[in-house]
Amino acid sequence: MRTLTALVVALTVASTAQAQSAAKGVPDWSGVWAMQGNTVFDRATVQPPTGRAGDAGVRESPPYNDEWEAIYRKNIEKVAAGALPDPVSTCGTPHGFPRIMNVPDVYEFAVTPQATWILAENGPGILRVYTDGRSYPAKEELWPTYTGASIGHWDGDTLVFTTISLKASKDNDVIVDRTGIVLSDASHATTRMRKIDPETIEAQMVIEDPKALKVPWTVTKRYKKQPAGTWAWDYACAENNRNPITDSGRTLTLGPDGKPLDKKVD
Amino acid sequence: MRSLILQMGLAAVVAAMLTSSPARAHHSAAMFDDSRVVELKGVVKELQWTNPHVWLQVTVDDKGAKKEWSVEAGSPNTLSRTGWRSTSFKPGDAVTVRVNPMKDGSAAGNFIGAKFEADGRTLGRWN
Repeated sequence: MRTLTALVVALTVASTAQAQSAAKGVPDWSGVWAMQGNTVFDRATVQPPTGRAGDAGVRESPPYNDEWEAIYRKNIEKVAAGALPDPVSTCGTPHGFPRIMNVPDVYEFAVTPQATWILAENGPGILRVYTDGRSYPAKEELWPTYTGASIGHWDGDTLVFTTISLKASKDNDVIVDRTGIVLSDASHATTRMRKIDPETIEAQMVIEDPKALKVPWTVTKRYKKQPAGTWAWDYACAENNRNPITDSGRTLTLGPDGKPLDKKVD
Repeated sequence: MRSLILQMGLAAVVAAMLTSSPARAHHSAAMFDDSRVVELKGVVKELQWTNPHVWLQVTVDDKGAKKEWSVEAGSPNTLSRTGWRSTSFKPGDAVTVRVNPMKDGSAAGNFIGAKFEADGRTLGRWN
């Protein structure tokens, strides 16, 4: 019943949002959208060019300083050894920002003059962007979270928002993608989102991290409109998770009886 | 006779199928050997139409003994948008299923495609 209520509320929010957006002149981003390409975060720099996040030997080139490049290289080695688990495999924590902009399955963008909700089916994940003129909470009222705090404004048909107060990766409990990219607690980003044609929404993120990055890191993701009438669904990750993580960071595969099929469990 | 085919040579036959797989939503694909394809001929025991992955349980004859394979597919969300239904596989369906097997040789793999013996229908990537 709780799930049904949540679904009704979500649908009401989405439909109300679109009605309000039409009334107040903010863009119509209605429909269901899917990110283009695989889940390599910075596809402009990935090597090899067809590499997939999570495969051995695949890496990108964030403008890391030496210290954080070394951290990334260690993570790349862990990926090659099958020992860098994806934290979302536990079905317990959200992807967080910026990873929420880089997930498979589909998205919905609920736009109102007061706020925009980026609704990722996978996770599930929600990025709330407040555009009602508010300021960030006072420093003592903020704490680091997976998705942070985002406020923004409309620059014509472009949603511009800045995300702060992000939870840093601690023992890889938050990653940017499965190649092993991580950021510090100093990271923050400004994102510009707009519809570049009737079928495409683009998000350009400029990520700054004075502890980890030498210069701002610009990454662009695009989302393609899905056929009219496409549904987004409940993604209940814990429903039947047959891929637990071992203490050493290996991802297991369980049989239908709940026992590991893997020849080596740890 | 239904049989389990575990032939390295098959990889070459279906090499054209080994284009990049859809993005996996829940965990890395590191446990699967994308360079190999195993073809399972057997009978559907169960389809677990659940998140984060749909699982197809297939019973095959392995040198006279029954062996159950666990075949992992995408989420029901994504699969339903590509033509799958919760009723696509029924217990007792005779099928041939192609998978990228686990690297360690355990009886599990990542779904590529399936063909139904009864009517020749296919699901996923087949040709």
